[in-house]
Amino acid sequence: MDIIGTAKRLEGLQTVDSIAKILDIDRRTAVNYVWMLRKKGFVETVYGKRKIRMYKISPLKPNKFGYSGLYEYLNKNSKIKIYAPYTNRIYDHEPTPEEMVVKAVKTGDLRTVLSSLALFNKVKNWQRLSQIARKELIGRKIGALYDAARTVIRVRKMDKKTRKALLRSNIDNNFIVKNARTKDLKQIEKEWNVYLPFNKADLEAYKE
Amino acid sequence: MINLQEQIDLFKNVIGSQLKNKVECIAIGGSAMMFYGAKNATKDVDLVFLKEKELIAVKEILYNSGFNERKNIKGIFREDEDAGKPVMMDGKETRFDLFLNEVIGYKIHEKVIERIREVHEFGNFIVKTASPEDILMMKGCTERERDRDDAAELVRKFKIDWNIVINETAEQTKIGIAAFPILLYDFLTELRDNFKSDIPKNITKELLVIAEKKLEELKKKDQLIKVTKYKK
Repeated sequence: MDIIGTAKRLEGLQTVDSIAKILDIDRRTAVNYVWMLRKKGFVETVYGKRKIRMYKISPLKPNKFGYSGLYEYLNKNSKIKIYAPYTNRIYDHEPTPEEMVVKAVKTGDLRTVLSSLALFNKVKNWQRLSQIARKELIGRKIGALYDAARTVIRVRKMDKKTRKALLRSNIDNNFIVKNARTKDLKQIEKEWNVYLPFNKADLEAYKE
Repeated sequence: MINLQEQIDLFKNVIGSQLKNKVECIAIGGSAMMFYGAKNATKDVDLVFLKEKELIAVKEILYNSGFNERKNIKGIFREDEDAGKPVMMDGKETRFDLFLNEVIGYKIHEKVIERIREVHEFGNFIVKTASPEDILMMKGCTERERDRDDAAELVRKFKIDWNIVINETAEQTKIGIAAFPILLYDFLTELRDNFKSDIPKNITKELLVIAEKKLEELKKKDQLIKVTKYKK
C-alpha cells in the first residue's frame, strides 16, 4: 500500500466518514487507515465543535523545532480563530503575548486584529508592550484596542504610566485597518485619535 | 551535509544572533524542503535575497564565522553571462549559495513572494520558504542528478498546482530565460520517464506550445539564444 500516496489523497482536515467516502471503504477500514497513517507520523488529531474527532493529514512530517508563530498563537489563545495564510515559526525565543499583540496589529488585517484582543488578558509586562508598540509606531493604536477589548472581555488593568506613555506616542497613520472606521466606539477613537476598525457587533463574537 | 536541526542552529546562532538589522530572504531547494519536512538533509543551503545590502550583511557574517567565498564559479551562463551568479560560501559541513533576485535565470517577482508558504524567524533573520511549485521550476534549470531526485520527491509528496507552473512558465519566458519552457519540458519529461513521477501529459504538451511560440518569436527577431544548464 502506498502510504504517502494515500496521505496525499487525504491531505487536509478529515473525519472518519470523509475518509471512508474519499477512499470508498467502510468506516472500520477508514479507522485502520488512520492508524497506519498515524504510525508514519502523517496524522494529527484535532477536535471540532461538539468534540467531533478530526484528523489533520499531510504526507509531510511537521516541523517540531522552535515555537509556533503569530497565527497558531492566536488560535491557541483567542476565541476568534483565523485561517493562517502561511505557517510561522519562531526559533530564537518563546513568543510573548506583548510582542504577539503588536505583530497582529502590524498585519493590518481585520480578523487578525480582532482575534488579538484576547491577548490583552495575557499581557503581564505592560511596560514591555508599550516599548515594542512605540518602537513599531503603533502605540496609540494598541491603547485604543485595549480600551475596545475592555468593552467586551475581562482584561487585566493597564498601569497608568503605560497608558500615559501610549497616549503620548507617535503613530505612522491613524488607521488600524486601512480605510476602516467604526460607528460605535467613537469615544475611544476620540481619546486615542485613531480609527477603530470594528463596530460593537463585531465584538459580539467574544460574548458567544 | 546538514540536517534541519543543524540548519536551524546555523540560522539562529551564526546568522540571526549577529545581524544588527532585519534581513529577509527566501529559502529554496533542499533547504526549503527540509523546512517542509520533505527531506532529511541537504548539501548546500540556497537563499535568495531581494536587497543587495542584506546579502552582503549575511555574506560578511558567514565570512567572519569561518566560511570562505568560492571565487571560481563556472557554468551558470545564459545570454547575459553575469546574471544569476550566486555568492558561494564554503564551510566545513555545508555551503551557502546566496542569490540576488534570481536563481540561475529564474526571476523572483511579486507572485513568487505571494506564494510563500512558511516564515521562519531567527531574531533579525527572517527566512521564508518558496512554494513547492517554485522550487520544482528552479530545479528545472539545473542539470545535477540530485536535483532530479529532489524534484521527484516534491512531485510525490506535494499536491503540485500545475496551473501555477504553466502561468509562471509564461511569466518567466517574458522576464527571465527565454528558453525556460524548453528546459522545464525536458526536465519534467525526464522526471516522468525515469522517475515515474505523476506529471500530467497535458502540462508537458502545454509547455511545448509555449516553447514553440517563443522560439518562433525569437526566430522572427533573429535573436539566437545560447543555453547551457547549470552545473556545479
